[in-house]
This record gives sequence, C-alpha cells and structure tokens, in this order.
Amino acid sequence: MDVSSLMTLEEKLKHYGLSSDEHSLAKKIVGDRDLSQIEWALFSSLWSEHCSYKSSKVHLKNLYGKSDVVVSEDGENAGVVDLGLGERVAFKMESHNHPSFIEPFQGAATGVGGILRDIFTMGARPIALSNYLCFGEAGSDRLENLVSGVVSGISFYSNCVGVPNISGQTEFNKTYNTNNLVNAFALGYYGKDDKIVSSKIKTPGHSVVYVGAKTGKDGVHGASMASESFDEGSEAKRPTVQIGDPFFEKLLIESCLEVMKKGLAESVQDMGAAGITSSSFEMSVGGGLGLELDLSRVPLRDQTMNPEEILLSESQERMLMACDPANVDQIKSIFTKWGLEAVVVGKVRREKEIQIFWKGDMVCEIDPANIVEGAPRYERPYEIAPWEESKTGESTDYDLSKVFSSLQGCSREWIFNQYDQRVGAKTVADCLSPIGIVRLPESGRPLGVVLGCRPLLMELSPELGGYDSVLSPAVQLSIKGFKPWAVTDCLNFGNPQKSGIMGEFVSSLRRMSEACELFEAPIISGNVSLYNETEGQNITSTPATCVVGFRDQVLDDETLEKLPESSFKEAGSKILMVETPQLTWSGYAGDMEASEKWGKGELDPQVTKDFCDFLRPLALEGDFKSSKLVSKFGAFYTLTSMMDDDFGVKIKSNVPLPSLKQEKLYQVILEVDADYELPKNDFKVTDLGVVTSDQTLTSGDFQITGEEIRKQKYKGWEKHFGA
Amino acid sequence: MKKIGVVRFLGTNCDQDIFDAVAATEGLQAEWLWYEDKFEAGDLDGVVIPGGFSYGDYLRCGALASKVPVMDSVEELAGLGKAVLGICNGFQVLCERGLLPGVLMRNESLKFIDDWSVLKAEKTESPWSLEGELTMPIAHGEGRYFVPADTLESMKKNGQIWLTYSDNPNGSVDDIAGVLNAGKNVAGLMPHPERAVNSWMGGTDGRKLLERFL
Repeated sequence: MDVSSLMTLEEKLKHYGLSSDEHSLAKKIVGDRDLSQIEWALFSSLWSEHCSYKSSKVHLKNLYGKSDVVVSEDGENAGVVDLGLGERVAFKMESHNHPSFIEPFQGAATGVGGILRDIFTMGARPIALSNYLCFGEAGSDRLENLVSGVVSGISFYSNCVGVPNISGQTEFNKTYNTNNLVNAFALGYYGKDDKIVSSKIKTPGHSVVYVGAKTGKDGVHGASMASESFDEGSEAKRPTVQIGDPFFEKLLIESCLEVMKKGLAESVQDMGAAGITSSSFEMSVGGGLGLELDLSRVPLRDQTMNPEEILLSESQERMLMACDPANVDQIKSIFTKWGLEAVVVGKVRREKEIQIFWKGDMVCEIDPANIVEGAPRYERPYEIAPWEESKTGESTDYDLSKVFSSLQGCSREWIFNQYDQRVGAKTVADCLSPIGIVRLPESGRPLGVVLGCRPLLMELSPELGGYDSVLSPAVQLSIKGFKPWAVTDCLNFGNPQKSGIMGEFVSSLRRMSEACELFEAPIISGNVSLYNETEGQNITSTPATCVVGFRDQVLDDETLEKLPESSFKEAGSKILMVETPQLTWSGYAGDMEASEKWGKGELDPQVTKDFCDFLRPLALEGDFKSSKLVSKFGAFYTLTSMMDDDFGVKIKSNVPLPSLKQEKLYQVILEVDADYELPKNDFKVTDLGVVTSDQTLTSGDFQITGEEIRKQKYKGWEKHFGA
Repeated sequence: MKKIGVVRFLGTNCDQDIFDAVAATEGLQAEWLWYEDKFEAGDLDGVVIPGGFSYGDYLRCGALASKVPVMDSVEELAGLGKAVLGICNGFQVLCERGLLPGVLMRNESLKFIDDWSVLKAEKTESPWSLEGELTMPIAHGEGRYFVPADTLESMKKNGQIWLTYSDNPNGSVDDIAGVLNAGKNVAGLMPHPERAVNSWMGGTDGRKLLERFL
C-alpha cells in the first residue's frame, strides 16, 4: 500500500509540489473529479517548474530564436544550425544545480549524461562539452567538497563516455555559498549524410520501444525537487539524485546512432527529468497522437516498484523510440550487439489520448495535451531596475602581489587537467584558451565555443550583465576570426515569486536577446533553472550563455598560421590594445578588495558589433599572431596570462601601470608584427609595448617574472583546495 | 600496403581516432576488429589496441577486455612476431593479458591527468625504435607503471624500456611511459600518438610512432 493514499489533501499538495489552485485546475482537466494516484504523479512532474517552464514561458517566447541558419523545429531536445557544406551542429546547455549541491559527484556526472542525451537523441554525434560552474566564496561551508565533487563528477562521466571538455568558466561568489551552479553544455555534429531525428511521433500503429538501462527507484520526484527552494531538509533529498553510468551512455550513443543512421526509428526521445512520463508525453503532444504504454513491460532493476514510481523514475541512460513494427527485430539486434536491451512497451495510437496499462488493467487514460498545454502559465509580477551610472566609485588600484593568488585570479588548471580535452582528436584549442575550438570532421573548418556571463556585472546591473553575456563571447570569437553563429543559454535565477528577481530575469533576457539579434546569432536552445534559493538567500541572477562561432576557412598546416593564438608567439612583436571605451566598472578587482560596486558609462551593443566587424576580417587574414579579450583585473592581468612559458612584456614608459588595472568593456590585446598598423578605425588604439624573450613583465621600475606569476597562481589554488 | 587491425571493445572511445590516424598514414590500411570475433592472424600485418575505457574500467582497467575472444587472435598474431601496439587503455589491456610485463596503477595524485608530455625515446634496437624527444598528449587516471625491481633490471638489460617521461606526471617507476615485450614486437604506451598527427592538434610526433608499423 502506498503511503500517499493515507495523506491529507494538504500533505499531498506538499508531497507532489502542487498549489491548491493548480490542484483545482488539474481536477477540472480530468473532468471535475478527484485525481487518481497516477494522475497526482503525472501532474506533479509535468507541472513542475522544471518541466513546464510555467514562470518563464511567457518571456521565452519573445526571444530572438529564428534565422535562416536554424534548421531544427520547435519543441525538440536541442537546436540545430546549418554551417553549409551539409554540416550542421546541435547544441544546448542545461543546469544540474540542485542535484549537484545535494550530491556533487553524481549531480554533476548526471548533468553531463543528460545534456549528452539531449544531443544524440536528435541523431547528432556529441563532439564537445563545456561547463559553467559557480561556487561560494573562499572559506564557505563545504566549498572544497563541492568543487572537488563536481569536478571529479564531470571528469568521471565525460572522460569515460569519450567526449572532450574544450572550455570552461568557474566563478566564486558568496551568493552561491548554499546553492552552487553546474551548467553543462554539449555540442553534436551532423555530417552531410546524417539526418536530424525528431522526437515527435507521426505514425499510428508504430511500436514504442524502450532502450538502455533498466528502471530503478533513483530520481523519483527529481523534477519537482529541482523546482523547489532548499531548506534544512535538503539532506533528506539525496535519494532523489540519480546515479550515472557513463559506460552505459557510451553504448547507448553508439547503438542509438547506428539505429538512426540506418533510418530504423522515426522518432527518438531521451528520458530526462520526470523520466518515461515526460518523454512519452512530449513525443505524443509533439505528434498529436496518443500512445499505449504498458508499464509492466518496462525493464526494472527493482521488482517492487509500483506504476507511480516507474512513471517518475529518473534512472539514467534510457531512451524511448517509435518505429515501424517491421524494424523492431533489427533494432533489437543492434542493441544486443552493443550489450543493451530494447523492449517494446507500447504502440502509437490513432487517437490522441495516452493510455497507461499495469498488469492488464488500464490505470490511466488522459489527453496529454490537456496536461502539457493546459499547464498553468504565470505572468509573475516584475520590477525592472534600469541601468544608471554610479555617482560614486573610483578606479581600484589593487595590490599586484595579491591578485594571482586570489580565488578569482588563481589558476584553474587543477580543474581542467582532470578533463580529457582531446578525445575525439578534433580539439584545436583546449580549456587553457578562452575559446575552445574543434575542427569539423568533413570540411576541416574550425568551430569555436565560448561561455558567457559575469555574475559580478549582473550584480551591478542585470541589463549590462545580460548584454555582456552575449557581447563578451562575441568579441572573444571575433578576435580569432570566428563569426558568432548561434547561442544557447542556461538561465539560473532565484525565486521567481519575488518581483525584483523576476525583473532581473526579464531585463537581462531582453538585453541578451537584443544583442543576439544584432549579431544575427539566434538563441536556438536553452534551459531555465529557478528557485536557486536556500533559506531565503537567492543566488546572483546568472544567465549563462554559450556562443558558438564559426571560422569560414579550412584549417590546415598553412591556415593554422593565420589562427591567432591566446598567448604570445614571437619576441619582438608589437602589442596593441584596442578598445571601445564604453563602460568602466569596479570589476573583479573591486570584489577582491571588497569595495562597493560601481560603473561609469554605457554599453552600446551596436558599438560592440562594429568593433567585432572591424576586427574579425583582420583576424581571419592572419594579422594577429595572438589575441585576447581583456577581462578580470584589466589589461595588466591579461598581459601576464599571455606570457606563457617563453615570453615577457616590456610596457612602454608612456603607459602608466595603474591605467592597465582598470576593468573596461571592451578592450582587446593584439600581438602584431613590429611594423604593423591597423587600418583606419574609430576605436582607441594604444601601443602598449613589445613582446620580449626574457619571461618578465616590465613596466618602469616594476618587474615580475612569468615563473613567479605561475607559482602564485598555483599557490592561490592550493591554498583553497590542496594540490 | 600493410593491413593494421583496430580492436573495438564495448566502451572503447579512442577507436575512431586511431583508426583515422592509421588510415591517414601512407602505406597503412586500417581494418576494424570486433571484440566478439576472432580473426585470421595471418591476414593482418599488425594490430592496435586503442585507448579509452573499455568496459567502463569496471573491475580493473583493461581486465575485462583482456579476456574477450578477439584477444585470443591478438595473442596468436603476437606469437607470429607481428607488431602489436597498445595505447593507454590498450596498454593496460596488454598488461592484463600478460603480453606485456608490469601493471598500471592509479596515478600518484589520485586524479585523472590530461596534459601534454615530453617523452624520451630509449634505445631498444627493435622495430619500435624511435629517436630523440617526442611530444604527445596524455589523458589517464591509471597510468602509473610498476614492475618489481628484478623484472625492471632484466627489461633494462634487454632493451624493453621504450619511452620515458621527461617530467614524470603519474609516479611511474623509472619515469616509464612505454615498454616492449621480450620479443620486442609488442609495444604499449600511455600517451596518445593519435592525438598528435596534425599540426592543428598541437604536434605531429604521433606520426613517427605509427610509421613504425611500416
């Protein structure tokens, strides 16, 4: 007997995460009667914030998401863009914040597994991963455990499944002390013969096939867990976190891609949040056809599971396929070859209702569109705080000896040296570079991946932060000759029922979308994670992005010379700083010195766009030996990060060191030939000095060696996390 | 044209990479070998056991793969004196099968390491002989090579130490990155030559190694 049948209505509402208004709406949908046990489970998961996007949908529909290059349909697992020559890529970013805070290793690992399934479920072979991580401040509770757990979880899963991590960003800020962020990005590739596979069922009479791992009790109610704020009882939610098996995932990738390549399945959907419930409902609603689903045929790890648990289990590495019954045997033999199971669990109906069976009885019959499309939509009240220039605040002249060993300024190598960055043999630039680059297998053209969003700028102004989430990656791509092609986002916010937070959501999203439209780089996929709140403390609003860009030049021995590196290449080169002096702000240095945040100036996306359009063709022509966007701690810090093992910098005497410590949007450092002059332009250009071979940065009386910097950067990390 | 078989176990993830690298080497032709199928040892000129998490590294790295049918044929082919190369997980498989001496243990740091490493080619007087320094990526959690002291001595005397790290990343005994069997036709190494076969990958030293099949 199920305990929930003994609960009072109030207890049930809490257990299933529904409000009493939502409960009334649900009752109306099923025909003005009490909900059955199964229906409670269905409404609970499908109406969770995680599955229904009930607070965000009204705003998401206004995003710039369409352009000529978008070739995926709405409502699929990820967006797909065309790159010409028959090549396309699918990509998406997704959060696994809540599970990773409860159980960092498995939470992060299954985050990687989940985002990979979103990609290969569409027929694309995953070729790159990236991750955006936010943790608490130095000394915060469990910091070491969270960082090492999350990093080893990502490392464990992605290394074994065999997809390289090619870029990453890690932020530390006190608003993440009790709610860290783990956002995983994955990108998949289609060659000219590969088809995009839909999740929508299209043909009545087709078989529904369950493939992959068996279903267990892990992750039951995971979707509703991920849609709540945390409280003191969060520890007790550990059993709602799923367990990942990357070996199984690898087999699933190979077998599914083989089935899809042979055209044996008409539609495929992975089982993610809310497991078989949401996958079957999405397939059904997308195609406008119902399904018969016999839960007693679902392969189980635990024979005591009841229908409700089977419906809500979030066991990993499972997929649902719909196919012509004539193909079932062939599909089964492919899965058997890869050591996996494929079981027919139902069929596509001509009618639109989903019928769920358990041991011969029909336990539920419902029109899925009524649940999915009838889900509540909230137009939550919001208040926008438009950007206003700060009245106070002045430039921060930080202590140079502190910056490299600070948590913000220290080395991140400890993190990414645990990731396989080269499996697949396509990696051109790894995590050491601000832009991850893979070479497309058929055409040999390079694709760039850059993450965006600076939480500190979001704290200063959600409007500026929203712009910057797109503009900053766009500049980074452009100075390497890549055109921003399309964007995915992962919108991490606090409690949407607070009008200020909802205002930050609305305003930052609007600005992101505006910037994307300007660059004609559509937002093709994304994920919303709300309720990042623990005991009343909300995170800094963090609309993370990943901008994918594309350099239209085959990469070979000859053109490799033209691709700007991210560290200095040759002694004697001239170092230029080019800038669009728009906004100066307190930045990461201000944060390190714990001074008040301030910002002076404006951010004009059009000016930034012109800046990118000016620099991109030069980068494509090979004018820059190396290039880098000035980011945290200003140009001084950027110059030191370009010194690598071999080179130094001699800064000209007319360039005062303090001026290189300001954080401005946007400045770039370019290494060019000694006699090179930039074409005529409207931007501010400063000749900073020359690249030297003495591995030392010199500015007047000030000197620091590359070795000293490296030592301090490592020490900075070690101080907090050990060697 | 020499025919080189590339073994595929369940879970292997560097198989396509090495297949492509072999196929791109002039004079070599690559052929797939499926783990369940034995093959005719006489039909091939050599075999590569690729890197990458066969059987998810369950039980012990390489332990399960070392027992599947295709390995019987690999052993037969090695017995004919033909060239066998094990890369990373493939090195672990060959050690587990007993075709190479020693074992590979957890890295000293207890963490997975991805990095570029500079290798020194040792004198072996074998078909696998290389010269000077080679730079190649490493990516492993269990690459710490170990053999008992007496075996190590005899391996040294016999010229079975093939490659050593210039900056030991994982705690391997005597900085060992790659070894040969006593017959010097079976070779295993932790670094990934297939990830260093084009300048855009960051280096081309991997080619020198694959050319030893010729």
